[in-house]
Amino acid sequence: MKIVVAYKWTRDPEEASARPDGTVDWSRAKPGLSTYDPVAIEVARQLAAETGAELIGVTVGDKGVGTPLACKAALGRGLDRVVTVEDGSLADAGRSELAAVLAEVIKHIGDVDLVVTGDSSMDVAAKMVPTVLAGELGWPAVAEVTSVTGKAGELRVGREIPGGAQVLEISGPAVLATSADAAAPRVPGMKDLLAAGKKPVEHLDLAALKVSPQNAVMTVTGRSLPERKVRKGQLIDTADPAQAADELLTALRQAGAL
Amino acid sequence: MSVNAWIIVGDQPTVGNLVTVARSLGGTVGAVVAGPRSVAEIVASSGVDKVVWCNAPDDVPAEANATALADAVAADPPRVVLAGRNPGERVLLGAAAARLKAAVLTGARSVAVEGDGVVVVNAVFGDIADETVAVSGPVALLLDGGSAPSGDGASVPIEEVSAPPLGVRVVETRTHGFDQVDLNAAHRVIGVGRGLKSKEDLALIEALAVAVGAEIACTRPVAEGLNWMGKDRYIGSSGARIAPQLYLAIGVSGQLQHMVGVTGAETIVAINSDPNAAVFKETDHGLVGDLYQLVPAITAALK
Ligand SMILES: Cc1cc2nc3c(=O)[nH]c(=O)nc-3n(C[C@H](O)[C@H](O)[C@H](O)COP(=O)(O)OP(=O)(O)OC[C@H]3O[C@@H](n4cnc5c(N)ncnc54)[C@H](O)[C@@H]3O)c2cc1C
Ligand SMILES: Nc1ncnc2c1ncn2[C@@H]1O[C@H](COP(=O)(O)O)[C@@H](O)[C@H]1O
Repeated sequence: MKIVVAYKWTRDPEEASARPDGTVDWSRAKPGLSTYDPVAIEVARQLAAETGAELIGVTVGDKGVGTPLACKAALGRGLDRVVTVEDGSLADAGRSELAAVLAEVIKHIGDVDLVVTGDSSMDVAAKMVPTVLAGELGWPAVAEVTSVTGKAGELRVGREIPGGAQVLEISGPAVLATSADAAAPRVPGMKDLLAAGKKPVEHLDLAALKVSPQNAVMTVTGRSLPERKVRKGQLIDTADPAQAADELLTALRQAGAL
Repeated sequence: MSVNAWIIVGDQPTVGNLVTVARSLGGTVGAVVAGPRSVAEIVASSGVDKVVWCNAPDDVPAEANATALADAVAADPPRVVLAGRNPGERVLLGAAAARLKAAVLTGARSVAVEGDGVVVVNAVFGDIADETVAVSGPVALLLDGGSAPSGDGASVPIEEVSAPPLGVRVVETRTHGFDQVDLNAAHRVIGVGRGLKSKEDLALIEALAVAVGAEIACTRPVAEGLNWMGKDRYIGSSGARIAPQLYLAIGVSGQLQHMVGVTGAETIVAINSDPNAAVFKETDHGLVGDLYQLVPAITAALK
């Protein structure tokens, strides 16, 4: 059995700031593994440990995603090997383009039984790359997955639905997007990171993958800052809680909030 | 210019906003329903021009009809495909987008037809900036679904397609036992963060909620991870976006992904023991201090 984990090497918008002209300043943001992708790796790792499956990490993106630092960060969490597509032209790629490239990588790897992804990427948070990827492959996708057991052809998948949970049986290959709390990711230790440096890394050339083109072209014609209400920013002295409470209630009544 | 649109529906007929957006584009509006027949019947009265329903065995989830749904959409290719933010609809929208080789946008604030293109103002990177994006070719949009139609409007006929399902079956369904809530209907909302030390301490918050007349909501880790509340109660970029009169953030650090969910609130109050907490940058009234002292004091003052 072959399990692929799609992970993203990217930046956290918490460390970015928007300039008055609507462009985004990323200069203070350090690249890293997207917040929820270690959860996907851990869910897949546990399944691989039970089934003896091979665990392959896949990432595609802009310059930097295939660096030794990035590959080791992913490998250190228990992947057997990684396959990357690093290309400057993917810097501004949309969800569909990234999914189309990922689909070609999965076909290149061959005989993949299962793709596991994170819930949402920390920069874009579209929750759509896994679903478009499944569409490209003609496989079913399931989101909000909390558990995966069984083996290829006979998977039992727990997932959350609005208001509850379900257990599904999946008889063929599938793409599973894990919920943010599906597993507690392990923090890799020194030994894991040392071992990671020795694991195989395959870099694929984007042009050689022959990804079929999109039917839509997106052109950014303008940028702006979202309109935000101006907040009062008043601090209430809390030395005496009872007095602070009175002061707050007076302010809220004046504002018509109570 | 006008463009045609398809609305994608899974298990819930919550399409009010999707119909409004699709209608504003001026062309025909179709709906493809991958969920139960009963959902297709409700959607047929939502103001769309036609409904296609994927007829599949009862024990398959809507997602298993993704290929049949993509086929139906591609048979009459639209410029715009729309779906609500539920997990099932996301999967179906992804299948349609892949089939159409469409662009995908998930932060649309507005959608308009200009010349022969579709122009979307799209919020990016946790809503810190907006991009105006002109799309030539098909575009798939993930939007807030809106409410379900009342069901008493005129109905259009339902066309049926048979859906050989992808290999997925539902073997068990259970409800999680948390009360369902519509946070958008609440005038006042209290948001609880990880500053609360234990689930039992929610009693403090409940007492305040009763005194203020507020609904209780939370940050993502409180619902996902701690599991103190249902996931429909968490606020933020991946959760609910609300615009109440009053939002009271208690023990919430105020990270970007949480605060974008309350930018529409009329008044924001925060209680946090850390004077440097990010939440204070976006509040009208800030109280730096221990919630265990301040919350009971406010509850008492309201009585
Ligand atoms: C892609 C992505 C999407 C996300 N989407 C969402 C989302 O939709 N919604 C969301 O909420 N989060 C989301 N998050 C998570 C978000 O980044 C934050 O991690 C989360 O909001 C923090 O939750 P918190 O404020 O409860 O916890 P913490 O950040 O741990 O903050 C707890 C706060 O409580 C304060 N505190 C502690 N003790 C006390 C006390 N006795 N009295 C008063 N204050 C006290 C602390 O000073 C601290 O500020 C997302 C993250 C990512 C990467
Ligand atoms: N460029 C990428 N390379 C590999 N996996 C990705 C990439 N972008 C997104 N993913 C996967 O898809 C998930 C959801 O991403 P998104 O749709 O951007 O929110 C992530 O958690 C990853 O598992």
